[in-house]
Amino acid sequence: MPSTSVALTPGLASFLKSLKTNPIDTSIDNLISLLKRRQIRHSRSCATATAYLLLRVISACRTTDAAKLIERVQSVGRRLVAAQPREMVVGNIVRRVLGLIRDEAEDDREADFNLSEAGSESQPQTPRVPDDHSDSLSGRFEGSDRSSSRPPLSQPAPITMFSLLSHPEPEASLPGTPASASPSGKMLGHTPSKDIRAEVLEGVNEIIDELGQVDDQIAAYALDHIHSNEIILTHTSSTTVQKFLLKAAAKRKFTVIHAESYPNNHEATHATVSGNSTGDDEILSTESFQKPLIALGITVILIPDSAVFALMSRVNKVILGTHSVLANGGLVASAGTRVIARAAKVHQTPVVVVSGVYKLSPVYPFDFDSLIEYGDAGKVIGYEDGDLVDQIDVQNPLYDYVPAELIDLYITNLGGHAPSYLYRIVSDHYRKEDINF
Amino acid sequence: MGPKQKGGGAKQRGNAADEVEETLQAVVLADTFETRFEPFTLDKPRCLLPLANTPLIEYTLEFLANAGVEDVFLYGGAHSGQLEKYINASKWRSLSSPFKQLTFLKSTSTSVGDVMRDLDGKHLITGDFIVVSGDVISNLPIEGALASHRARRVANKDAIMTMVLREAGRNHRTKSSSTSPVFIIDPTKDRCLHYEEIDHHSSDSNRLNIDTEIILSHQELDIRQDLIDCSIDICTPDVLSLWSDSFDYQTPRKQFLYGVLKDYELNGKTIHTYIVKDYYAARVRNLKAYDAISKDILSRWAYPLCPDTNLLPGHNYELRKGNLYQEQGVTLARSCVIGRRTVIGQGTSIGDKATVKDTVLGRNCKIGKNVTLDGAYIWDGAVIGDGTTVRHAIVADNVQVGSNCTVEPGALLSFGTKIADSMTISEGKRITNAYREEEDGVPDTDPEVVGEGGEGYEYIPYEDDEDESDTESNASSGLVYNMAQLSLSTDSISTLSSETSDYGISRSGSFSSTGGDEDEQDHFVHDAATSVYDSLRDDVTSDVVQLELVSLRMTANASDNQVRRAVVSAFMKRIAQLIEGGKAAGEAVRQIFGKYREIVERSLFDREKDAKPDQVDLLLLLQQDLVHRSRGDMVLLFLAKELYDLEIIDEEAYEQWWDDERSSSTEEMRQVRSQTQQFVEWLANAEEEESSEEDDDDEESDEE
Repeated sequence: MPSTSVALTPGLASFLKSLKTNPIDTSIDNLISLLKRRQIRHSRSCATATAYLLLRVISACRTTDAAKLIERVQSVGRRLVAAQPREMVVGNIVRRVLGLIRDEAEDDREADFNLSEAGSESQPQTPRVPDDHSDSLSGRFEGSDRSSSRPPLSQPAPITMFSLLSHPEPEASLPGTPASASPSGKMLGHTPSKDIRAEVLEGVNEIIDELGQVDDQIAAYALDHIHSNEIILTHTSSTTVQKFLLKAAAKRKFTVIHAESYPNNHEATHATVSGNSTGDDEILSTESFQKPLIALGITVILIPDSAVFALMSRVNKVILGTHSVLANGGLVASAGTRVIARAAKVHQTPVVVVSGVYKLSPVYPFDFDSLIEYGDAGKVIGYEDGDLVDQIDVQNPLYDYVPAELIDLYITNLGGHAPSYLYRIVSDHYRKEDINF
Repeated sequence: MGPKQKGGGAKQRGNAADEVEETLQAVVLADTFETRFEPFTLDKPRCLLPLANTPLIEYTLEFLANAGVEDVFLYGGAHSGQLEKYINASKWRSLSSPFKQLTFLKSTSTSVGDVMRDLDGKHLITGDFIVVSGDVISNLPIEGALASHRARRVANKDAIMTMVLREAGRNHRTKSSSTSPVFIIDPTKDRCLHYEEIDHHSSDSNRLNIDTEIILSHQELDIRQDLIDCSIDICTPDVLSLWSDSFDYQTPRKQFLYGVLKDYELNGKTIHTYIVKDYYAARVRNLKAYDAISKDILSRWAYPLCPDTNLLPGHNYELRKGNLYQEQGVTLARSCVIGRRTVIGQGTSIGDKATVKDTVLGRNCKIGKNVTLDGAYIWDGAVIGDGTTVRHAIVADNVQVGSNCTVEPGALLSFGTKIADSMTISEGKRITNAYREEEDGVPDTDPEVVGEGGEGYEYIPYEDDEDESDTESNASSGLVYNMAQLSLSTDSISTLSSETSDYGISRSGSFSSTGGDEDEQDHFVHDAATSVYDSLRDDVTSDVVQLELVSLRMTANASDNQVRRAVVSAFMKRIAQLIEGGKAAGEAVRQIFGKYREIVERSLFDREKDAKPDQVDLLLLLQQDLVHRSRGDMVLLFLAKELYDLEIIDEEAYEQWWDDERSSSTEEMRQVRSQTQQFVEWLANAEEEESSEEDDDDEESDEE
């Protein structure tokens, strides 16, 4: 019977399964309701679900027009974000996909400009034959561009007077009116636009791959940051942090102090520490085979959250997971994180945040109260305590906002960054026209 | 059980049949056949009443979707048209609905028992299913309960039902305060052994009657009164057949649960409990619970079922500090004060210096200047005039309250009423504008209550049509907002049962104080019917049956009417069984009534009188019983003839019965007796002839 009961409750697994068979609109509504019901939560699950959904949306979208594609992804994205505005990764993934489409469209155009420039600058209305030629050319350019998601800086060809002059124009006209695009837009015809879609799909697949590998990539930096005989303090059952510590534990001996993050995550934390994780959490399920730190001979001390300040003086480094990272470097992380970061500041203990780039959001926190979700009051005080329930209001914030100045270093899958450098990563990953899509 | 499973198996239902074990079915009882939400339920089905601006049914369907249910059967009751319309327009009907199938079933049922029997007849249920009422609010993932239910059922197929109960301590706002269900549980097996409801208002029933057998045969017993019964039951198809077998059960707890547990020796079925300690589960059983659960939702005890989850498409609530939920497009005057635990819907405007706290405001409400709202529930489109105070009251859709009014705690203003300026609506008053068919005429607006220019009249529930056979608990006599004056009735909306229910027992005194008696009376009917039925089946002689019946009756101090009810239900069940076994209807009737004539005769005491209330009552009971049986009309004809031949019932009684309005009160009742018409006509003719003979011979008619 357990097999049926596992399959029973809808979640990420059932959503991904149904994605293949259901019509696209059903899948969108399905994800929206799953997000609303909090049946898909945690940044990674949300990101994965969004990426797979957008993959479906794009492959089902039969349009050959980049602008239409963008519009479609935007409308889906808006609905997803409205369903659960506090899961910022949903918006991040949507923005990245939008960025991909724009990049492809522009690359195409640029490649085309190259060609028309190289061929005959005086004749924009090139006949059909060289146009086919341009296809293969543009394909090659795109192939080389894909490896980094930024626009190619090293490529010598586009940096000509013509392209410099023409560059602002397509960028401005792209989102709204494809028809008003430069003559080359018309000339491109069918085949190259089809190519865009295939390229975008490939890009989305890369994002999905990135989501799968991100923890391992981050863990690769572990040995640079964790040294022998250090005392590390951490918090929550974040798999990213666990993998990071495990990687270091393979080579070095150190001590981990683990705050239990009561009441919203203590059970998972206990399970992580003792290695009995039951796999109830869908992200953990694949990693639940993983040995706990104690199996590698690391001393792990589980402490209540209230003891953090008392122990902070002995801690060498604080390593934190997070729910999302905002554009200014501030974190939205599990409740209790801010207290830890604050205590670390008092003791001048370095605070390191490990987080995939996909959690990095271009949103600037003007009103961070609205970013914080309030959860089930019953976890703080038993609902059966009737007198209390009647008399008091219980607040159970799931997240804390941690200001950037409390954090010393961010480690993402791209490497370590100082808080002041984050803006650069944001601008690399998200196009500014997509920030408020 | 036999026919059920055959029926379920034979019915191939497309995609669902592929994975019979996987598909989880649920039955939603959208109508619970109670009138605790009157006067609101006069206009709208109860499950569409808004709780924190979302209709109740949404929470229930959300719960089922969370639980991974795929097939839903929705039973509508009163106003089922409105409900069907709502459901058809909702997201649950769209392609993306989490339910593979959402079937709306209409029925003429008048109790939960009827619904279950109807469902049994339809053979829709293929495996384990969940029964919930249309007002359950829960964030409980059901799989734990389901897994333990399935494990138990694999081990023992007599474990037919698992009830989900929420632990709630001694005092709790969400628990009903007037009655408390008491579960006696064997904690080693989670098995429920006994169930009873204690009515706190009645002095004489503050005790439990536990069978000594239970105490002797179990090592450990938990007697628990601290549980919220949220009426989420996981059932096997056997449950339906049990309902069908026990034709007199109407309520799921007080009768069905009690009965099945009591008859454990007979049927061997066990019922289990699944006690939840850390999720939210409750049922909006009455207005007091409505108030409590609204507070729970606003204080996020039911997370993620909160207003800012925006269950309904189109809602866009956002959480602000202090549990203030506000939609976009709200107009707040600069000087108004919005306190904690408040919900404000789109398009609502609040005037200068108004104070609002602990209040739910629907969409497009207009709140004037200097208004004070405290603990009020203001539904969509209501207008509250300047300077008015509303405390702990419900103001329904499109109500207009004038300026400088005071609406005192516990007042209920139903849909579309209008209150003139400077009126005071005193505590616990219910004002409605609905047309009630039972009333002699359309009640006019009562200016005493609503003032000059107002619309509406005071709603007074009928005290006399309370039906003792209904009401799963007298809980609803619970007080809305702790006000002693405002007790809620628990009567059934069933016209049929309420009309035939002035069964003898005088229901004087307050409703709550007779509660305890009724329990015993009901139990008597059930016990006696079972005992007589068993005797009939075993072909015991009528003397023995009579003896047993008399002793039962003495112990329970039952009324004549109760005895007749018991006898009728036992006889009819046996007859139905004989007919099913292949006997002709007439023969079956003759066999039973011929052999056990004495028993019937000794329950009638009006042989010598002109008016024949007892005989008429017997006929009515028979007729009512036959409404639910197949070929009831035929059987009734045979019965009438046989009873006449056996001289159990006199011609006068037939006439009085035929003329009695109760016998033709509903379409079904009329239909059942249609066949008997010829017989009654023949009787009347015969009598005329006889009366002409009577001139010659006075004695003859007496003999006849």
